[in-house]
Amino acid sequence: MQYLSIKKEEWEKAIEQLLLSYTIFAALENEFGIDYEMVRPENIGSISYNKAKPATSLKTFFLPVKENVTSGIALKRRRIIIGAPNCDIHGLKILDEIYLDKDFSDQAYKERRDNTLLISVDCFVKQEHCHCTSYGIKPWSDEDSDLAVIRNNDLIVFRVNNDRGREFIKQLAFVQVLKDEKIISDIDSANSKAESLLVESNKGLPDYQATGAIVKNAGDSIWRKYSASCVSCGACATICPTCSCFLLIDKPGFEKIKQLDACQYPGFQRVAGGEDSLGELHARFRNRYMCKYVWKPQKFSPIACTGCGRCIEACIGKINKNELFKELAT
Amino acid sequence: MNDVRNIYKPIKARLTEVIDESPLIKTFVLIPEEEFSFGTGQFIELSVDGIGEAPFTPSSSPHVKDKLEVTVMRTGYVTDIMHTLKPGAFMGIRGPYGRGYPVETFFGKEVIILGGGCGLAPIRSLLYALEHIKDKLEKVILCYGSKTPADCVYKPLFNRLNNTEKFEAYRTVDKPDEGWDGSVGVVTTLLNKIRFNLENSIAVVCGPPIMMKFGTIRLIEMGFNEDQIYLSMEKNMSCGLGKCGHCMMGEFFVCKDGPVFTYRELKNTPDIWK
Repeated sequence: MQYLSIKKEEWEKAIEQLLLSYTIFAALENEFGIDYEMVRPENIGSISYNKAKPATSLKTFFLPVKENVTSGIALKRRRIIIGAPNCDIHGLKILDEIYLDKDFSDQAYKERRDNTLLISVDCFVKQEHCHCTSYGIKPWSDEDSDLAVIRNNDLIVFRVNNDRGREFIKQLAFVQVLKDEKIISDIDSANSKAESLLVESNKGLPDYQATGAIVKNAGDSIWRKYSASCVSCGACATICPTCSCFLLIDKPGFEKIKQLDACQYPGFQRVAGGEDSLGELHARFRNRYMCKYVWKPQKFSPIACTGCGRCIEACIGKINKNELFKELAT
Repeated sequence: MNDVRNIYKPIKARLTEVIDESPLIKTFVLIPEEEFSFGTGQFIELSVDGIGEAPFTPSSSPHVKDKLEVTVMRTGYVTDIMHTLKPGAFMGIRGPYGRGYPVETFFGKEVIILGGGCGLAPIRSLLYALEHIKDKLEKVILCYGSKTPADCVYKPLFNRLNNTEKFEAYRTVDKPDEGWDGSVGVVTTLLNKIRFNLENSIAVVCGPPIMMKFGTIRLIEMGFNEDQIYLSMEKNMSCGLGKCGHCMMGEFFVCKDGPVFTYRELKNTPDIWK
C-alpha cells in the first residue's frame, strides 16, 4: 500500500489549479452537516475529511434524477469527486453490474464512470445509523476508489488504491512519499477504532446473509406493522446508493427521458390489464427488502445494501429497518 | 456516444396497415426503417411518438424479415392512442428483447399450446414458427379460449391450422352467443378432449394471469413435469434491458431473463400470477 502526502495548504492550492481542467465535487461541511457540493475556490476550505457521510449518496453523480438518454449528451469534462465514503464506493459495484452489463451497456453511465476520478475518505467518525461493518464493508477504502484522502493535522495523506489514482497524483506538485510510519500507524489505528465502534454499536444486527434469510421467511404481520407509518414517498429509495430503478418518459422525436423511480410508489408494477403484484402498501414495503437482501444477492455478487443508514435518516415515517431486522432476528 | 448503439433509442417503423381484429383489438403491420428481426416469443417496446411505449410480442412470423405485425388490445392511455393511428404514421420500435420460445428444443415432440384472450397474439407467431419446422415436430395442438366468440381474434387461423398436416386447433368460449355451436367452458376443459403422448410433449401457456395459473395447475395434474411447461409472463416491462426494475419478479428481470420461462424456473417465485 503506497501512502503519499502533501501539506494541506498546498493541496488546497492544487485543487484550485485542478478546477481549471476538472469539475470537482466534494463532501463539504455546512450548517446542516455534510453533503456533496461543487467545489469553488471560496469553499475549498470547507472540504470535510475523516468523517462519514454526505447526506446524498454517490449514485446521484452517475444516475441523475432525470436525464434525456437519447440526446447523446453525456459528461465530456473530466470530474473529480472527493469525500465518498466506502459504503458509497461499494454501492457503485452493483450499479456497474446493472448499467454496464455486457448485453446493454448504458453509455451515459459509462462515460460518467470513465470520466470520474473517485477520492474516498476514511470514516474515523461514524454517524448514528452507519452500519457498513454489519454487511462486511470497512469504513475506509483500500481497493475500490482511485485514491483515499485522510487529513492528519496540517498534512493531507493519500492512499493510492490503483493505477488511475497513481497517474492522477503524479500531476500534483509537492506530493511526497509518506515516510513517517507513525502517521500511517495513526491512520490504521483510527480506522480500526472506527471499525470497532461500528461493530459495537450494531451488536444484535444480523449480517447481510442472515438478513436475507429472515426477510425471506418473515410473515405478512411484520411488514404490515413496520409499513404502518410509510407514506410511499420513496425517500428511502431515492437516497439509497444502490436503488436504481427508473421510468422512461416519451418526448416528441422518439426521445426518452429516464427518471429515477421507486418500487415504493403505487403503480410501480401495475400492468395495463390492472394486475398489480405490489398494489398493497405492505407488499411494496416488503419488496424493497426482498430486492436488497434476497433477490439481488441471487442475481449479482456485489452487495445491494451497503449499510449507509440513509434510508433510516430520510424516512419521514420514522421507520428504522435495523429495528425491524433486530426484531425479526429475535 | 455516437459509435455505440444507444440502448434507449427506438428505430422508426412505418405503419402500413391496420387490421381490425375485434372491437378492442387491432393488428398493426409495420415496416422498420432499419434491419430488424426477432425470435418467436421475444418482445418489443412499441412507441407512439411523444406519448409512450408498451411491451408487445410480435404476432407475425419470425421468418418474415421485411415487416412485422403487432396485435394490440385497447387497455390504457398508450394503446388507446395507438388505436387512432392510421397507415402512414411512424411508430418506434426497441428490441427485440428477452428470451423467446426455445423452438429448437421442441424437435421430435408434440407441442400442446394453451392460449387465452389476447395471448393468442404471441401464440400466432409461435404457430408460424412451428409451421416452418413442422417436418421436425410430431404434432402441434392449439387449445384456445376466449370470453365470447366475438372476442376471438384471427378466426381464419383455426381453419387453416386444422387443414395443416400435424396441426390441430380447438376453441372454447366462456359465454356462447346464438351462433356458437362449439365448446363452452374454460380453456382447460379442452385438454380433456385432445390426445397426445404425455411423455413426449411440451406445453406452452400464454394468456391472462388467471388462465395461466389454472392452465398450469391442470397440466401438472395431468402429469406434465415442471420442465415441460413453458410460460410466457406478462409484467410491466418498461426498459426491456434488465435495468428499470418494473418487471422484476423475484430475482428475475422478466424482460431479460424471460418473458418465456419454464414453470420449474418460476415455481418458487412469489406472486407470479398477479
